[in-house]
Amino acid sequence: MILAPLKRYARLLGSLARYTLAREMSFRGNFLVKVSVEVIWLGIMLAFYRTVFAKTNAIAGWNEPEYLFFVGCYFALNGLIETLFLENCNDFAEMVRSGDLDFLLLKPIDEQFLITCRKFDWATVPNVLMGVGLMIISLIQMHWQFDLMRLLAFCVFFVCGLILAYSFMLVLTSLSVWLVRNQNLMEMWWLFSSLARYPKEIFNQSWAEPLGRLFTYVIPILLVVNVPARVMVKSLDPWMIGFMFLATAVAFILSRMFFMRALRSYRSASS
Amino acid sequence: MSASNPLPSDPLSTASGAPARGVMGVLTKYWMIFRASLVERMTYRGDFFLATILRFLPMLTTILLWDAIYTGAKAKSGTTQLGSSSISFSYNEMIAYLLMVNISRMFSSMPGLAGGIAREIRDGTLKKYLLQPIQMLGYLVSYRVAHKIAYIATTAIPYALLFFVCRHYFEGHVPTDPVTWLAFLTSLVLAFIVGFYFEASVGMVGFWFLEVTSLLYIVMTMNFFISGHMLPLDLLPTPWSTILKSLPFQYMAYFPAVVFLGKIQGAELARELAFQAAWALAFILLAHWLYRRGLRRYSAYGG
Repeated sequence: MILAPLKRYARLLGSLARYTLAREMSFRGNFLVKVSVEVIWLGIMLAFYRTVFAKTNAIAGWNEPEYLFFVGCYFALNGLIETLFLENCNDFAEMVRSGDLDFLLLKPIDEQFLITCRKFDWATVPNVLMGVGLMIISLIQMHWQFDLMRLLAFCVFFVCGLILAYSFMLVLTSLSVWLVRNQNLMEMWWLFSSLARYPKEIFNQSWAEPLGRLFTYVIPILLVVNVPARVMVKSLDPWMIGFMFLATAVAFILSRMFFMRALRSYRSASS
Repeated sequence: MSASNPLPSDPLSTASGAPARGVMGVLTKYWMIFRASLVERMTYRGDFFLATILRFLPMLTTILLWDAIYTGAKAKSGTTQLGSSSISFSYNEMIAYLLMVNISRMFSSMPGLAGGIAREIRDGTLKKYLLQPIQMLGYLVSYRVAHKIAYIATTAIPYALLFFVCRHYFEGHVPTDPVTWLAFLTSLVLAFIVGFYFEASVGMVGFWFLEVTSLLYIVMTMNFFISGHMLPLDLLPTPWSTILKSLPFQYMAYFPAVVFLGKIQGAELARELAFQAAWALAFILLAHWLYRRGLRRYSAYGG
């Protein structure tokens, strides 16, 4: 019984993706530029990483190939977030301000789905591929022994990380109902997600430890990339596995409640 | 604005009964404008505070990341300094540098400038500069200076807080002699000029190509790295650091920061400042030349 609506949403997502691809392909030059900006950005990240590892053997306990895997994992996960949700969430503040949100609320479909998954940003799909490429290169560099269980665990935690990051983005997005936003969400997200960009072991020093705990247990943004990357190339505390599942479920449910609460406070601006 | 022409229903005049005249009237008028502007700004206070808090996070991770890098470097080769043989940075200096490049960029970044010029060319509004006794670049410079001052004033508090929190990284690295201060301030002003005319030149490309925003994105992304915003150029391996230091981009971020930290002094400082001034002049000339050349091609689309 529950499968029928699920199938409907999957079909809808497919049509939305096809529609946005058709739109994107009518501005091919723009598409190419967006992709090349991402390639340059990847180049900059790699140049930074190469420069730093010329001076040191390890950063916070992550050696060169391990750190490269981390960078790849971050790139792929962030790319997926950008492809699926970022642009949609970015539009939300403007829809609240202009009152265009009315039209979306009237549609016979889940509001959260429609608002956060409406558009598919094809230009950031190459990021996901580049991230996967980096991860594969790093695994070859470290002579990784193929281990199906690890690979499956990685995939599961990667999805958890994605849901976790999505939940944080949904909370940041919902805030614009009350805050009357004038900063854009893209910048806010970039600033906030900077926490997820590095191994969480960099917080292992006296003054930063409370902050590390805060961003692991209370606002678990540090788990997003760290847990999947760790499970693949390092070892993970068994209890961390349970905590990751718990954190993902709680964050998803709370963020949805928060979003629904925000929608109830929305007062249409147009009429 | 009705404030300059009080009508009977105007709140300025009804508040005090009769319309206020003379000096008091003028003062009340500007007080009201000031209050209205302040209220307008504070509409977004929640968002402003949230953004201010979030803005601390990248600095936090930067400080922690570099701490880990310096720890790793010490474990590898026992060194506490990173950089080239001529210019190297201790951990505290590195953090001070990465904070100071924000100040450089405050002067040299020009959000919306090139895109704005390209748009005016494309939609034809450029012709307002041709019909009025005003020169486009001159107008844009004065507009930008006013905006920069307003921007620096509004971000002064969060930045002051950031620098206060991070003050111990600066211990012993704040210049004490007036020459360094003078050189630092000069380099910031020149950074503004280099940044402004460089971006204006990019915008002028719009005379030849209709779409420049894409070019702009690429240039801005590259600039983040090659200007030294991400890390001091001295850390790069030899051919690259030499190449990047001979390009003008370093003067928009790297150069003012190393001047502040006293890494370049004496005759070399004078020579580098002269180079920066030369680049500033070169971009001024380039922007004006492109503008004149471009106007010959310009066909004033739109009503």
